Amino acid sequence: MKKASLVILALALGSLAFSAVAETYKVASDTTWPPFEWADAEGNLLGFDLDVMRCIGVLQGFEIEITSYDWDIIFDDVGSGRMDIGASGATITDAREEKVDFSTPYWTSDQAILVHVDSGLNIVTALAGGYTVGAQVETTGAGFVAELIEAGIDVNLTEYTLYPLAVLDLINGNIDAVIQDEPASVASATAEPLIQVAGVIKTNENFGFFVAEGDPNGLLALINDGVAQLKALGAYDNLIAAYMGTDLVKVEAAWKASIGLLEGGDVAGFAAQLAELANQ
Amino acid sequence: MSTILQSLNLLITRGLPTTILLTLGLLALGLLLGFPIAFLQVYGPRPVRWFCRGYEQVFRGVPAIVLILLFHSGLSRTFHILLPAFVSALLALALRSSAYQSQIFRGAIQSVSEGQMLAARSVGMSKVRAIRHVILPQAFRLSIPSWTNEFSSVLKDTSLASAIGVLELMKQATLIFTRVQFIRGAQWILVILILVALVYWILTFVGNTALGYLEKRTRIPGFEMKGQVER
Repeated sequence: MKKASLVILALALGSLAFSAVAETYKVASDTTWPPFEWADAEGNLLGFDLDVMRCIGVLQGFEIEITSYDWDIIFDDVGSGRMDIGASGATITDAREEKVDFSTPYWTSDQAILVHVDSGLNIVTALAGGYTVGAQVETTGAGFVAELIEAGIDVNLTEYTLYPLAVLDLINGNIDAVIQDEPASVASATAEPLIQVAGVIKTNENFGFFVAEGDPNGLLALINDGVAQLKALGAYDNLIAAYMGTDLVKVEAAWKASIGLLEGGDVAGFAAQLAELANQ
Repeated sequence: MSTILQSLNLLITRGLPTTILLTLGLLALGLLLGFPIAFLQVYGPRPVRWFCRGYEQVFRGVPAIVLILLFHSGLSRTFHILLPAFVSALLALALRSSAYQSQIFRGAIQSVSEGQMLAARSVGMSKVRAIRHVILPQAFRLSIPSWTNEFSSVLKDTSLASAIGVLELMKQATLIFTRVQFIRGAQWILVILILVALVYWILTFVGNTALGYLEKRTRIPGFEMKGQVER
């Protein structure tokens, strides 16, 4: 008990000291989704979304504190203002707009269908042949299949709290397909010889960073401007080159080697070196 | 093999301290709250006894995860009280534990035979002194086995705190296996889950052994309940 109160006191004092220097915003992210956000072997949080956020922080002069959050409550907690920013590969949807405010889209994604290599299923048969499709709860992929079911199409949906559990079930033959955004699907298929991408559904979803409703801290303007600056610097393209389609272990090593540059304030240099080392 | 060692290292350095802190914190808070409730439920006036019964019914009847979410999201949305996630989880689980612990202590107090109270009163002790010097020490001894159960149960309940973003063992495990499955394959999810199960098991074992030692130390030879005698 004493230990707990000492720790809490230390944390409170620590965060007080921190905020006296520069504004610190709390970023919530479901860090179980490479290449957009994940934790490496030492517990460092990295990924496209998180590094874009870090770069924006450096450019706009604020600090960020990233917390690993569960996808289920991320919109509620950013919406209520408990967390300041959400950076978690979130598709902009009307339902979510009711809880949070989104930035301008920073990424376009499609859904992909993963199937077992021995199943002989293609994108059409997987979704209309009475098979079971797995998806993460409250993702647009799950929503897509739910809409198919409502439209009367013969398909079943099984929801998982985490995407890797769905992939595991697919490999073990408990479900027939998995629907998830394309980058993560491609990464999974690359890592697992037993599954493959059956096809891509062009849903043209837009990802946005999100903040509490009404944007009380005026962050959206900073974020949108930050993204524009990153693109102008060429750093945005470098981050894409670093994270999309690269080997996870290489990116992690590249990140550890380059993060010092970002902490020193050199956004362009960080992104360039990251891209170079990750693609070696 | 290095993946296993790396993962264990992460689990132990990042997840374990929070889990232990949460467990000990909530058990202590639960004790501070639960014992008075038990005491009042046995010796208090009737309206107080009813209140205590209501308290334990509510906090034993609501699922732990619901309590955690209520403290976390409910408080923030309705009353605009923003507690750090660790504190929300601690309070919610402590309230629930206090309800269970109050029943453990109540059972222990009431199982000290009526004869003890009569004997104490007959040598001139007031009711209060009898309770303090005769009943409660024995009740303490008798409550240890059940309390060990509560410890074991509560240790695993702390994994629910991961739902609101507390980085404890279970959350750390999910972060590890979502990465490892890309590097070593999805079957490694099972390896990580077995590792985290192992860590929980070791924690439970250590705790139970320590409490078992306490039980032995407070045993009064010749004064046990049936079935307790060492053969």
